[in-house]
Amino acid sequence: MRFCPYAHRTRLVLRAKGIRHEVININLRNKPEWYYTKHPFGQIPVLENSKCQLIYESVIACEYLDDAYPGRKLYPYDPYERARQKMLLELFYKVPHLTKECLVALRCGRECADLKLALRQEFCNLEEILGYQNTIFFGGDCISMIDYLFWPWFERLDVYGIADCLNHTPALRLWTAAMKQDPTVCALLIDKNIFLGFLNLYFQNNPDAFDYGLTC
Amino acid sequence: MSGASARSLAKGSAPPGPVPEGLIRVYSMRFCPFAQRTLLVLKAKGIRHEIININLKNKPEWFFKKNPFGLVPVLENSQGQLIYESAITCEYLDEAYPGKKLLPDDPYEKACQKMVFELFSKVLTNKKTTFFGGSSLSMTDYLIWPWFERLEILELNDCVDHTPKLKLWMAAMRQDPAVSALLTDPKALRGFFNLYLQNSPEACDYGL
Repeated sequence: MRFCPYAHRTRLVLRAKGIRHEVININLRNKPEWYYTKHPFGQIPVLENSKCQLIYESVIACEYLDDAYPGRKLYPYDPYERARQKMLLELFYKVPHLTKECLVALRCGRECADLKLALRQEFCNLEEILGYQNTIFFGGDCISMIDYLFWPWFERLDVYGIADCLNHTPALRLWTAAMKQDPTVCALLIDKNIFLGFLNLYFQNNPDAFDYGLTC
Repeated sequence: MSGASARSLAKGSAPPGPVPEGLIRVYSMRFCPFAQRTLLVLKAKGIRHEIININLKNKPEWFFKKNPFGLVPVLENSQGQLIYESAITCEYLDEAYPGKKLLPDDPYEKACQKMVFELFSKVLTNKKTTFFGGSSLSMTDYLIWPWFERLEILELNDCVDHTPKLKLWMAAMRQDPAVSALLTDPKALRGFFNLYLQNSPEACDYGL
């Protein structure tokens, strides 16, 4: 689905590694019955190859692509550095839920000061990591898997209306600026107006929301 | 391996020194199922290690330098590198040490094991193979085992009565050398749980 942050992770990795792929978008509010044969709960993203092998869970799918395809490796080779990236992912685990809750609260006209405070705290933890490492990216001086796994939620802060949560985290702001310079991130940046159009329809429970902005 | 039956270190204890060359250290707790995962993998791969038990009800201040979350298991090697989160420690050991690989080399097979680990209770009813990873015991089985061992000990067997495949799996697991070497003594576990529920700082050292 064009606006799903979890699927966005997989699309970033496909692009970063130059893997030939086709995309089938699923209407998440009105799923085709056959889709449950691809994923037991009908979730996205799911990878399917020509051997009919199915891989789901965004992090597992991303790692699969890195392992199975040649070229640029997004995870480090060193076992300890790989483990470090996976530990960093643990630090991130509250962010998706909190950003979604803020979005829903704002869209429903509710207060979300507490949620934003909690999100800022999570961003402070990430800021500390960047400060301690003294590197631009989470994996070092070059972009790597962990940066791509974090990115989709940071791209959405602005369109969700919570970009001010980065106000007290300068290293994180530098990171987002550096990410926007990355050719892969750039190529997949979602147009803000289209995203807003999607969000408007989505919160009106319009089943056509997912196809907003498509001309055919 | 050294330390398995040692008293846990608590608040006020001196931090341990660096890890000697050729050894890896695991910060553990004798009754923690997450730490048991790491111990199973260390045993299964024959990795030389030392164990430092941590009193989880009265944690040493220095332990938060090993893991900011203050949880076990944590691995520390002679280069001072620290790894935490049980599944991450297990995968690190499989990658960093030679010998029998517990996770498959094939990317799809490896992804399958990870998907199973995520969804194991749902997958179980559809599972056609003896072990979670296939026809022989592998990483996923070790990651799941500690909870099922405790089901029996805590007399919660009814949970598996409706799943004969799971019962068969548990019997097969008990045959594994690593699993049988680390079987938790039922009396000790029950004693631990009693004290633990009373919030006693002695809980982690029950039976020593």
